[in-house]
Amino acid sequence: MAATDLRAGSSGREQAPLLSISGLRTAVTTRGESFDVVRNLALDIYPNEILCLVGESGCGKSITALSIMRLLPTPPVRTRAGRVLFKGQDLLELRNSRMRTIRSESISMIFQDPLTSLDPVFTVGNVISEVIRSHRDVSSSEARRMAGDVLSKVGLPDPVKQLDSYPHQLSGGMRQRVMIALALVLDPDILIADEPTTALDVTVQAQILDQLMHEQRERHMSMLLITHDLAVVAAVADRVAVMYAGEIVEQAPVDELFEDPRHPYTQGLLRALPQVSVKRRRLDPIPGLVPPPQLMPPGCRFAPRCPHAIDQCWTEHPELSDEVGDRTLRCFNPQPFA
Amino acid sequence: MRRVLARTIYMVIVLVLSSIAVFYAIRLSGGDAVAARVPASASAEEREAVREQLGLNDPFHQQYFDYVGSILSGDLGNSLTNNARIGTLITEHGKNSLILGVAAFVLVFGLGIPLGLLASLRRNSWWDGGIMTFSVAGMAVPNFWLALLAVWLFASVLGWLPSAGCCGPKQLVLPAVVLAMEGMALTVRMTRSAMLENLNQDFVRTLRAGGLSEVRVIGKHVFRNALVPIVSLAGLRIGQIVGYALVVETIFGWPGLGQVLVNAVLRRDYPVAQFFSLVLITIVLLSNWLADVGYTMVNPRLRKT
Repeated sequence: MAATDLRAGSSGREQAPLLSISGLRTAVTTRGESFDVVRNLALDIYPNEILCLVGESGCGKSITALSIMRLLPTPPVRTRAGRVLFKGQDLLELRNSRMRTIRSESISMIFQDPLTSLDPVFTVGNVISEVIRSHRDVSSSEARRMAGDVLSKVGLPDPVKQLDSYPHQLSGGMRQRVMIALALVLDPDILIADEPTTALDVTVQAQILDQLMHEQRERHMSMLLITHDLAVVAAVADRVAVMYAGEIVEQAPVDELFEDPRHPYTQGLLRALPQVSVKRRRLDPIPGLVPPPQLMPPGCRFAPRCPHAIDQCWTEHPELSDEVGDRTLRCFNPQPFA
Repeated sequence: MRRVLARTIYMVIVLVLSSIAVFYAIRLSGGDAVAARVPASASAEEREAVREQLGLNDPFHQQYFDYVGSILSGDLGNSLTNNARIGTLITEHGKNSLILGVAAFVLVFGLGIPLGLLASLRRNSWWDGGIMTFSVAGMAVPNFWLALLAVWLFASVLGWLPSAGCCGPKQLVLPAVVLAMEGMALTVRMTRSAMLENLNQDFVRTLRAGGLSEVRVIGKHVFRNALVPIVSLAGLRIGQIVGYALVVETIFGWPGLGQVLVNAVLRRDYPVAQFFSLVLITIVLLSNWLADVGYTMVNPRLRKT
């Protein structure tokens, strides 16, 4: 299969990353005090891969995505340091007008709630055409034709008729298809999908995921999929990055991560997952809560909830280190997964 | 379309009900239409004859239907005080009221919306603070007091503008500003809050992610969404202008419908008071109807199919 070959290529690190984030620090400022919500984050996205960014809500996944797109709600959230290299340019340094041409032309994004994410007073076709015409010099009838095309490609029934629909006239799944069409109409290199199925019915979730995977393969694009749902990760991802409290704690190809999770937080996430095959096993939640940003422990951020914490974990902050194979890990005392 | 039809029917019902109320209230309001028609020395028989001739002895509903019938046939009657034809009064004074009303309307929206936009886009700046202070003052100061202040300052002290009169641009300035002030202040606040609310909506992020320019995102999409509540309350603003016109026209001696109505009530000129009240009610109802239709037009969520 062509797709598998490409994945093998990406995990072998032969290719240069398409997008390379390093040292990213994003902070929230409230009442004069500043707290990091993303800290010293490094992440590479390779061509043709689906990279999943996993973690609990509030761990900084969405903030990372919005930092890449430079769509943070500033103030109060602001990128303080780091580089986001894409095709030789640092996105964080670009002028606003340059950044606008990157958005949706090169990097697109779709969001969690497709109802609130679409302008309620304009038709679907109107908004898609407007995005096209902001980037390409085409006539309005040509833009409308392109909008109809992309709607039919993302599997929206009766696409030409839906051009004149308003978002409230569509179902949740159809709205998310419209969002996908809006993001893909200019054929971007990277699609960032921030919890694209969380707000949808379970039956629709699978359809939307299938559609996203299909588009990723067809268009040979890379996808950064943000989710807290490990079932989605297992079904979709090539590689996985696990985030905890604003940091990446473990990165691995998807099969290795599920077979041999090394970070205690990753292990905890997997233990907390209900399994149909095991009969009446009690779920095993991770004890405690994510510390709020102003009360981060000085050592490992997971230490207060970690079953294997040793003295060093409380005093020293672990760095992300390269492991055997294509993996990275941020832990002083990794234990095998039982 | 259904909604528009429903609002139209609703408007007609309210118009009929309020015409009955006006008709009844005028009859309740003390005084006697006969006293205004006959000399004080007239005998009881003479009074009774006039009473019979005016139909005042008929039952209430009979009088009401006679009245409506004569209006619908175009016979609006005459003023009791100077015998002027009511139709002529309406056209003469209506023109003046229209000038004043349109000027106030333009100020309320033509100035209120841009000021609200400026305040929302320069949030927490000196612009914002100044505009918001101005708008709080505009809502807090009653218009009759504002009228007196304005006359004192601009006519007596500075001598820039005439204190009263009709109907040139110079005479128009003070009454139009006073008439518009409260509605304008409310429009400023509403525009600002609607803009700020919509600037925080998720769809704004989607449009930015689509690479649209800020001018398009804010000037087209956010503004278009903010228009929905502004238009929905436009009918109230017009009603406010019509109601306040009674006070403002009287203070500034602006010979419009409101002034005629106030004088007619003071002089117990019932036919005029009755018909002018109905005219003002109709204007308010029509403007509310227009605002409803406009609201349906700017808000696609209200349109079915």
